[in-house]
Amino acid sequence: MGRMDSGSAPRGASRNDAWDKIAVVALILVAAVCLDGIVHTAMAQNPFGAPKGAVPDSQVGGIVGWLLAKQSEFYRQMSATIRAAKTDGSAVGALLGISFAYGVFHAAGPGHGKAVISSYLVANEETARRGIVLSFASALMQALMAIAIVGIGAVVLNVTAGQMCGAERVIEIASYGLIAAFGARLVWSKGGGFVRALRSCRGAPSPLVPAMVHVHGHTHDHSQHDHAHSHGAAHARDVHHDHDHHGHDQHAHDHAGHVHDEHCGHSHGPEPSALAGPGGWSRGLSAVLTVGIRPCSGAILVLVFALAQGLFWAGVAATLLMGLGTAITVSAIAIIAVSAKGLAARIAAGRDGSGAVLLRGIEFGAAALVLLFGVGLLLGYIAAERVTCF
Amino acid sequence: MMRRLIQSLCVAAMLAVTAGAAQAHPHVWIVAKSELIYAPDGTITGIRHAWTFDDMFSTYALQGIESKTKGVYTRDELKPLAQTNVESLKEYAFFTFAKVGAAGSQKKEKFNDPIDYYLEYKDAALTLHFTLPFKAPVKTPALALEVFDPSYFIDFQLNEKDPVTLVGAPANCKLAVQRPNDGSAQAQKLNEDTFLNGDNSNYGAMFANKITVDCAP
Repeated sequence: MGRMDSGSAPRGASRNDAWDKIAVVALILVAAVCLDGIVHTAMAQNPFGAPKGAVPDSQVGGIVGWLLAKQSEFYRQMSATIRAAKTDGSAVGALLGISFAYGVFHAAGPGHGKAVISSYLVANEETARRGIVLSFASALMQALMAIAIVGIGAVVLNVTAGQMCGAERVIEIASYGLIAAFGARLVWSKGGGFVRALRSCRGAPSPLVPAMVHVHGHTHDHSQHDHAHSHGAAHARDVHHDHDHHGHDQHAHDHAGHVHDEHCGHSHGPEPSALAGPGGWSRGLSAVLTVGIRPCSGAILVLVFALAQGLFWAGVAATLLMGLGTAITVSAIAIIAVSAKGLAARIAAGRDGSGAVLLRGIEFGAAALVLLFGVGLLLGYIAAERVTCF
Repeated sequence: MMRRLIQSLCVAAMLAVTAGAAQAHPHVWIVAKSELIYAPDGTITGIRHAWTFDDMFSTYALQGIESKTKGVYTRDELKPLAQTNVESLKEYAFFTFAKVGAAGSQKKEKFNDPIDYYLEYKDAALTLHFTLPFKAPVKTPALALEVFDPSYFIDFQLNEKDPVTLVGAPANCKLAVQRPNDGSAQAQKLNEDTFLNGDNSNYGAMFANKITVDCAP
């Protein structure tokens, strides 16, 4: 995550330490999550929030079960709170609190936004800061889409819920198509890098020793990109290559031009300068659009409910707070994803050619995941949270 | 090093898994009451459902529906909505899944389009009444019925009191009801494993309400 403190910041051992600590904390969290799954499988103690006073059962366990229970709990409190807000203004505060909490737990909202954003960040050499920006932008867009649908549909045109739901479904299908297209684009660009890494490391029967020398230098270079500026020693080596590869940010378009380049593990991620530039942001924008176009069904229900109570503005406020909560969760996940990728890059740096192959493989895998999500959602193999109109 | 790598791959897996899982939580809650209708000859002709929607969804569903008196909806005023409801429910197989025959050799039964459907609005809640006739009346000693949404957009709960009644059933028929939460269901664990095993498209089945009728002599 060195790019966050790039520029003239001092590059010393203390920054390396800080990075290590962050990585360790992230790993402890992950280990806890993994362990939690195992423990709950064994013990199955965590009950689903049984609303009817039922006996806690071994139905739903682990973090997933807990998330499900929390989301349902907050969501179900919303209608009562909105009703209360009609007569008691102080209930609005409670509504906003609940909405925010719901957003946090509901996380990425529909369309597997969280997965798409994280996969996108892993597939590309993105920074945590950009991950946070993308998370907030997509959550805001989702909230605004919900407000637009209900604002135009219910407030202006007074259409029925069924008609609004129909519109929602069209948007849903479009968003799945966008995810698939976005994934295909990532796969296309990342696949090239992966294949080249494989070919230049293993396949080429060219003189072995010189090739490996090349491999070594370049592996260090590219795997250090994610935090190039926080590694003093690595950086000295990077300088030359950084300059070399400026302008290669549009890998999707000019990657054919790299075929001649036999360097193992050649980076096709955007350079820092490109991130702030129009090219970098436009790619990020397509991630935001892909994820944010589909509104959250929950938000639409809340908005229509609030409208019926004559408190549309309260619904709008609740929707925006939901978006804020969602953004925070997605940001946290984005940071973990970027950190994990950075860690993988560090590990890869220590292993000659295979490290680069691994790294490009992870990127390719993440890109493939986006494509799979899109296709799976489109074809109905992943049916989670499909809008149900009736 | 390798362990750290495995751990970071674990992150990726967890991300993918929780992404699919955590988003699927219900947005609609239905409290269901069902009746199994028997013909005089002991065959089962159909299922009559009464589904009461939660406060939020009831209000949402009424958006854009005109009524003479504000806040009061007659059965007639709700007729078009009821029509839409049953027509749309067809796509989801009415969330009602019936199997006949002894365990091991069960056969799925199909339904005709619903009849006698109407909506009722009472205490700020909509209740959808409809009857699902079997394509062919079922003569069976054992019927297993499940009511649930595979995608878990809708959470079905059986009514606390008399969730299922047998109408005109032979005296030797025994009714058993399994709720997803009442402890009688078999150990159906929903956790990270479930999602790692794939097939999360049908995980709403874990919240299924299971109704069995055994009329074996």
